[in-house]
Amino acid sequence: MEKQLKNDFEKIIKTTNFSKETIKIKENHLNQFIATGFPNRKLENWKFSDINQIIKKNIGDLGFYNDYSFANKIDPSIFIDGIEHNKIVFINGRIEKIDFTYEDINKIEILDQDQLENSIKYDNSLISLNSAFTNKYYKIVVKENYSLKKPLIIYQTSTKNLKYKNINLRLDFLLENNSCLKLIEISDDNSRKNFTNTFFNFELKKHTILKNYKIDKKINDNIKYSFNNIQQDTNSISETFILSSGSNFIKNEINCNLNGKYSSAFINGIFSLKNHSHHEIRTSVNHLIDNTKSYQLIKSVLDDNSKSVYQGKIFVNSKAQKTDGYQLSKAVLLNENSEFNAKPELEIYADDVKCSHGSSSGNLNKDSIFYLMSRGLDYEQSKELLINGFLLEVVEKITDSEIRNLIKNLIGVKE
Amino acid sequence: MLRINNLSARIDNKSILKNFSLQVNAGEVHAIMGPNGSGKSTLSNILSGKKGYDLSGEVLFENNNLFELETEERAHRGIFLAFQYPLEIPGVNTNIFLKTSLNAIRKARGEKELDAIEFLRLVKEKAKELKFEEEKLNRQLNVGFSGGEKKKNEILQMSILNPKLSILDETDSGLDIDALRIVADGVNSLRKKNNSFIIITHYQRLLDYIKPDFVHVLMNGKIIQSGGPELALELEKKGYENFN
Amino acid sequence: MREKELEKLKDYKYGFTTDIETIKAPKGLNEEVIKFISNIKKEPEWMLNWRLKAFERLKVLQEPKWQKPKYPKIDYQDIYYYSAPKSASEKPKNIEDLDPKILETYQKLGIPLQEQKRLNGIAVDAVFDSVSVATTFKDKLTEKGIIFCSISEAIQKHPELVKQYIGSVIPINDHFFATLNSAVFTDGSFVYIPPGIRCPMELSTYFRINASDTGQFERTLIIADKGSYVSYLEGCTAPMRDENQLHAANVELVALDDAEIKYSTVQNWYPGDKDGKGGIYNFVTKRGLCKGKNSKISWTQVETGSAITWKYPSCILKGDNSIGEFYSIAITNNHQKADTGTKMIHLGKNTKSKIISKGISAGLSDMTYRGLVDISPKANNSNNYTQCDSLLMGNKCGAHTVPYIKNKNSKSNIAHEATTSKISEDQLYYCQQRGLNSEEAVGLIVNGFCKEVLQQLPMEFAVEAQKLVGISLEGSVG
Repeated sequence: MEKQLKNDFEKIIKTTNFSKETIKIKENHLNQFIATGFPNRKLENWKFSDINQIIKKNIGDLGFYNDYSFANKIDPSIFIDGIEHNKIVFINGRIEKIDFTYEDINKIEILDQDQLENSIKYDNSLISLNSAFTNKYYKIVVKENYSLKKPLIIYQTSTKNLKYKNINLRLDFLLENNSCLKLIEISDDNSRKNFTNTFFNFELKKHTILKNYKIDKKINDNIKYSFNNIQQDTNSISETFILSSGSNFIKNEINCNLNGKYSSAFINGIFSLKNHSHHEIRTSVNHLIDNTKSYQLIKSVLDDNSKSVYQGKIFVNSKAQKTDGYQLSKAVLLNENSEFNAKPELEIYADDVKCSHGSSSGNLNKDSIFYLMSRGLDYEQSKELLINGFLLEVVEKITDSEIRNLIKNLIGVKE
Repeated sequence: MLRINNLSARIDNKSILKNFSLQVNAGEVHAIMGPNGSGKSTLSNILSGKKGYDLSGEVLFENNNLFELETEERAHRGIFLAFQYPLEIPGVNTNIFLKTSLNAIRKARGEKELDAIEFLRLVKEKAKELKFEEEKLNRQLNVGFSGGEKKKNEILQMSILNPKLSILDETDSGLDIDALRIVADGVNSLRKKNNSFIIITHYQRLLDYIKPDFVHVLMNGKIIQSGGPELALELEKKGYENFN
Repeated sequence: MREKELEKLKDYKYGFTTDIETIKAPKGLNEEVIKFISNIKKEPEWMLNWRLKAFERLKVLQEPKWQKPKYPKIDYQDIYYYSAPKSASEKPKNIEDLDPKILETYQKLGIPLQEQKRLNGIAVDAVFDSVSVATTFKDKLTEKGIIFCSISEAIQKHPELVKQYIGSVIPINDHFFATLNSAVFTDGSFVYIPPGIRCPMELSTYFRINASDTGQFERTLIIADKGSYVSYLEGCTAPMRDENQLHAANVELVALDDAEIKYSTVQNWYPGDKDGKGGIYNFVTKRGLCKGKNSKISWTQVETGSAITWKYPSCILKGDNSIGEFYSIAITNNHQKADTGTKMIHLGKNTKSKIISKGISAGLSDMTYRGLVDISPKANNSNNYTQCDSLLMGNKCGAHTVPYIKNKNSKSNIAHEATTSKISEDQLYYCQQRGLNSEEAVGLIVNGFCKEVLQQLPMEFAVEAQKLVGISLEGSVG
């Protein structure tokens, strides 16, 4: 793999015009990745999902070079109907469109980031891989006191001809004081057997609100990793919702640092899995100052041979008095071959805190099914009704009503 | 027994009691009435030694400076506070709590500690007097008790610990008429020559059952009027707003 | 005045040393030392070979690094692996023949071996440094066919039982410290309860590390045959020494059809001083196998001592309808560190497990609950309930909860709950208003917090444990 990585890296450097400094930094990242390789189960964070094995088994050898010199044609049928929105379109890892039609043009700034900061230090080889191979990327700045009128939808799409490739995506967002952004990430893949590695950075200044809805619905056999890094200043709110369903494998990682007082983070997620899919959500919410709050609710409905993993960590340092941290994961196993794994973790160094977590997993409540059947429903109907109710609780957490309805339609949850 | 001279109390730079003075002699029952936020609960907390107040003035209990005594030392000397909101302490058996408490006080007074049998005999007798279901004493302290049960439990503790000065902080609030009578009986049975009471309340109705010697009206951290039991009736008729 | 009293109480009550002549193996870990141990114990050849096999394995094993408490590198060549009171080299036939100094030590510890009657009918096996020095109540147990003796004696007298079960729960190549124990274990207790017998008294072992630079590697094996029942207690103390001492014990439990084993531990090894100097490294492997159907293994532990505690008493629920339980109180103060919890491995059908863990951290200490619940695809209709509560006292200590939950069976349920809290000012104030001082109030509230676990202990231990809970936290309230 080392040879492939080096060759493909050379090719990219030749076909792009990065500055010398950037190339140097990218080289460092490349070497770091070569040294560690894809994460495996020996690493605590990858205990439940050995991505090294998963890639080997499902894809085999990966190519890291992608030709970004030609534009791809956008198929407008992918766009979501019935909701006016701004757009960013990725096709095969290349940004084809950035469109803020509905917004005041002076209030949004799009910065061309061809220079990577060297300061990002994560103990995560996939971020090194991303930094080494990502094409030039953008930083989107929402100016002070501006709330976007319409949501921004990021379409991540791929075409049929893409195969056995690694694609690396990166976007940075800066929300200046008192600004507000609603974001929907939709993946719509036509390709097969690729590894997509997405890295988004969010910097939330004072009194900002970020709502981020990540939707993985379309069935596809790609392997995916997504890392969202959220930094929050005073009185900021982040709301993340994850629908994890369509891909063969996806691991969504959310790292959230509550750096400012009265900041809060909400992370809600649904795993709705079938066949052999294996999905993971890993969160780490770091309470680093007093009076911050976090809330997490993750539910799984698992059929066939599917497997879901939730690793959620709440960290409270000694300064973070009056922290309120809550975490709940629930799973329904519908098939004898399905599997749910969880590691809900608390690491606490302050005494005046309220932190708790809960996790439960098992089959559908027999008494409830019996009750429904005694009212004339058949078994399948009863099951559906119960699952519907089980998932509805998570969907109801979505604070934006327009998007809530959109997602309800997407997963077919009824009220 | 108790002399409060020019007591002022502040918390977070907010003035709550202002030059408050009161004298309670042995055997007297004083009722302190006042609207919400007038400083009633602050007064009971200061007397029993809750921390967190900026204090000035003087409080003497049997001629000792109360400010120099820790909370438990005040309890040892016979000050009892029936809490407005009795605390729940999970896992701690009510009987064991009571026994520990009683023996800590007896020990501090140089009296013989009671063994389990003597203690249970005492509890049984007192519980019967107060119509307190004994079964509840084997439950965790105040956990799962109704509001009324918690208040009755306070009065039971009071009658077992046999204090010299009992302070009842809104013990009547949230009680139905039967429970109110039981609480009042508890107080009246303890009412002796040497035992004094400060009864803090909103309403006059408790005073129908416990006849006070003095009634004081507390507004904005000060006693604005003192008198006999008739003052409570007058207050009830006029309401706090029109009292001035 | 109160402070002075506290100062006295804070001192480790069991911190004395006893001046006793000892026989020691040469310092260091090598084949010769292992042969020395085996030889002095007059072991049969198969036992020596078993030890050497473990030693071979040890050479390729690495010390585990994933646990939270980190410790300075241990020099395994700088430890005495065998230390025995000289007078015990020929094991005394009855207690009167024991070295009076050893008797005195146990008396100081509150274990009067001579006055058995005062112990309310608990049979005691006392382990001093590396060897078992006395077992009480032997006759009464023999009557019922119960074997309760040191493991050294069992190896000689009951080789067929030892051979069959030793290493059957903790394999010879399990992990570094377990394998180290297999190579060098010196003594420990052996219990066999015959079919259908309900052991008429609590069996108890008292462990004591006395000599310096000595590791204690005892091995305990308990077998409950079909339809039998036994309750076993274990207590531990060590003198105060500036250097750290290693304690790496292995405990194996086997419960056959319809059998029940209840294993209780009060661990109060020397925790080191206020500044974190000295103390025991308590790296213990405890595992129970519910081998037969309807069998039950229940672990109860009160962990207040040791500089570092690192142990996960576990249950392998192999037999259908078997039950595993884990009740734990762990308290850390000053510089103590603990990483403890359990593993419940559900293999059989209709298996049940319950985990109740109460962690209390104070001072500059650090406490981790780490646990695994694993329900395998074949373990239909199984369930687990876990509750982990942590109490923090001050903001210089840490409390962590790291449960691993694996449900691979759609007919089985796992439920896990965890909370973190502190003692509220108002609760303290309420107790003080009723005449308790702040130390008493904390003791009372913490004992309430631990109640569900304390209830599991046999009476004699429960009283001791309650006191220990109070003493361990003294000086931790401002």
